[in-house]
Amino acid sequence: MDFTHCNLGAGVRLHLCETDKFNTVTLKMFIQQDLAPDSAAATAIIPALLKRGSQRFPSTRQIARELEYLHAASFSADVLKIGERQLLEFYFDMIDPTLLPDGEENGKRALATFWDIAMHPVTEGNGFVQEYFDQEKLNLRRDVEGLINDKRAYALARAVELMCPNEPYGVYRYGSVSAIDALQNTAAYRCYQDLLATRPIDIFLVGRNLDLVANEIARLEFSRREAATLEPPVVREPEGERWHEEEVPAQQSVLVLGYRTQTRYPDPDYYGLVVCNGVLGGFPHSKLFVNVRERASLAYYVGSFVDGTKGVLMINAGISAAKVDQAVGIIKEQVNALQQGQITPEELEQTKTGLCSSIAAMADDPSSIIDRNLVGLVNGEMRSFDDVFAAIRGVTAADVQKAAQALRLDTVYVLKGSSEKE
Amino acid sequence: MERVKTPTGHELLTGFLPNGLHYAILPRPGFVKKYAILATKYGSLDSRFEVPGEGVVDVPDGIAHFLEHKLFEEADGNVFDRFAQWGASVNAFTSYTQTAYLFSTVDHMQEALDELIRFVTHPYLTEENVEKEKGIIVQELRMYEDHPDRRLHKNLLNALYHKNPIRLDIGGTPESVSRITVEWLMKCYRTFYQPANMVLVVVGDVDPQMVLDVAGQHFRGSDSARVGKRVYPEEPPEVNQNWVEDQLSISRPRCAVGIKSAPISDGWESLKLHLTMNIVLRLIAARSSPHYERLYNSGLIDDSFGASFNSTPYYCHAVFTSQTDDPRRFAGEIKGIIQETQNGPISEADVERLKRLLYGGYLASFDSLEYVANNYVSHYFNGTPYFKFLNILQSITVDDVQKAAVTYLDLDRSAVSILWPHGEEEK
Repeated sequence: MDFTHCNLGAGVRLHLCETDKFNTVTLKMFIQQDLAPDSAAATAIIPALLKRGSQRFPSTRQIARELEYLHAASFSADVLKIGERQLLEFYFDMIDPTLLPDGEENGKRALATFWDIAMHPVTEGNGFVQEYFDQEKLNLRRDVEGLINDKRAYALARAVELMCPNEPYGVYRYGSVSAIDALQNTAAYRCYQDLLATRPIDIFLVGRNLDLVANEIARLEFSRREAATLEPPVVREPEGERWHEEEVPAQQSVLVLGYRTQTRYPDPDYYGLVVCNGVLGGFPHSKLFVNVRERASLAYYVGSFVDGTKGVLMINAGISAAKVDQAVGIIKEQVNALQQGQITPEELEQTKTGLCSSIAAMADDPSSIIDRNLVGLVNGEMRSFDDVFAAIRGVTAADVQKAAQALRLDTVYVLKGSSEKE
Repeated sequence: MERVKTPTGHELLTGFLPNGLHYAILPRPGFVKKYAILATKYGSLDSRFEVPGEGVVDVPDGIAHFLEHKLFEEADGNVFDRFAQWGASVNAFTSYTQTAYLFSTVDHMQEALDELIRFVTHPYLTEENVEKEKGIIVQELRMYEDHPDRRLHKNLLNALYHKNPIRLDIGGTPESVSRITVEWLMKCYRTFYQPANMVLVVVGDVDPQMVLDVAGQHFRGSDSARVGKRVYPEEPPEVNQNWVEDQLSISRPRCAVGIKSAPISDGWESLKLHLTMNIVLRLIAARSSPHYERLYNSGLIDDSFGASFNSTPYYCHAVFTSQTDDPRRFAGEIKGIIQETQNGPISEADVERLKRLLYGGYLASFDSLEYVANNYVSHYFNGTPYFKFLNILQSITVDDVQKAAVTYLDLDRSAVSILWPHGEEEK
């Protein structure tokens, strides 16, 4: 379930995964750029505006009717943040033409529709339709303000912001409220055109009879200028442990600990870090789950994850405000245990097996088949399923300990629930 | 054993073991992952039931969910570790009407399946481990308290229903959870975890005979103790309250409009209604709807606007919800649009287009093993013939759509739930 790659020229690449496993054909297209405060907001508004109308389907309603008619074809777009890159993501799927009575016609029409929505938005002067722009600017602002509605996601985003105030990584994937407020229609449209003309474009396809689709895509027009150079991420040592606390009226507090890993995806010892994170907080058998939840009954959820592009590891848990110190104590003990090399053969084996099988299982879902390559894409090196399995299998307890010893606690953030009942 | 061809050309095997356990196996060669789910028809609604020889008992709310947590407990080690050694991931969930235990794995399917059935059929409850679980569950309940959509929805259900236990959180309350004991848990376990009340579904690249062998070893014999009889309170047709407001730490108000109907139990009719109402709700609340377009362009709604129809033999209601700056106007608009839809006419072209959509969506749904298996369980418990989907879909007429809109969106049985950001509720 790996991709074959082909270069369409001028920084546009096509990645194909031919398989008859699915009833759908899935296409994802990514355009990446450096994450920066101003362009983050300008880029973040683009998906919403593309959904408002294309030249052939100039309203959301007309797009929706067309997709319904095409037997539940779907289009969506969003913005992702991976390390210090921001990716404009287009998603499209349709029913495998061979399963439909009017399949071939349906397939061609679906692809043309996708291309029209992604590439030919309805415009006015040098911008998007002004009325649409004004509405979506307000909606985007509300989205960013609405992050607080999900306390866990809010706490994580806030912790990252406080941890990396002077690094691009501190920028939220949709930008800031002030950048959104300052955003002009013409600037957003220029940003969209620049992305299409100068940033790397990667198109992934998963499904049956892809030659037909690939040929259609190869015939499409990309008006490309010279490609922009993208920056590697900022790597920084923590200056010391910082502690931030904020209060909101909530029933539960969220605790976040942010560590710098000093190890990243391109490094040879990267998979030591991946396994280290798994032993610490990636699974129900992990140290955090066992000790914070099962032994101390402090939390319902507790876990950790790594951004290997940037080199950070984040731990988070939903706990009672009165138990913050106790929880921080237990978490630090667990990291410390890893640093001392307290890793049982069972923990190591369970984690490696768990990681391999969750990666293998990605081969059963078209979106996951594509998404597992994104970290490789932004780091300039996509890795096959087999290479990743071999790398994980090769990790030893000493590798895990070494990765743990490189962890530096940078920031502790507590989103304190002020209306907690005892 | 029965063999059914799915619309995507795969063969589904179904049947019963001698002890009454229902099984379904859908081999899917080419898929890496195998998925199994073992479910019992016992959910949060079932807190009042008749125990043979004891009469009717009332157990603390949230007990089905508590039991789900506790079945993971073992005398030696825990269930998570056993699955972890095979690289399998195990989980469980409790809904209003069922409790389900599931895992997915790439390798060691036979061992994992054996372990799933073993741990669900062997409870290990002690005073100590039951006490310990209370702290974890209270944190889970607190997390939901802060979840805006859950709060909005719970308040709506409290307004719609007088007595139906759907009013209560699936997990119960910190107070009801504190009253749960080993004795209560075991009483519920013995009453509802009977093979005749359960279903096992396995999907993926598996050998059906292996599944039957493993299940047969655990579920031996042909007897299944009598399943407890549920006692449901009589629910009056009218709503409990037609307007409820609450506040939470959120950025923007939210509003839900709910409409209650009498539940139906006939499987075919129920599935047909489900599909027909899917069309009705899309005519009102999908992006392809002119109403959506108007409300969105006026700024009243954003893309959080949506609708759902929830129908089981035990409850039936439709819900329209959105974030909005003006929840009162939103509620008014929704009611107006419902009336307009009921008055018709409904366009033939719209209905045909939405049928094409549902057809495509049905085919695509077979790409997710979890979805197929979980869906099978729900349809089995509700008695709806899911594999007749396409026949039923084809049979739906414009007239059916119109009638369903009138019958199942009866505004005399509607309630409005509003959630305000703190400090914004008084206007």
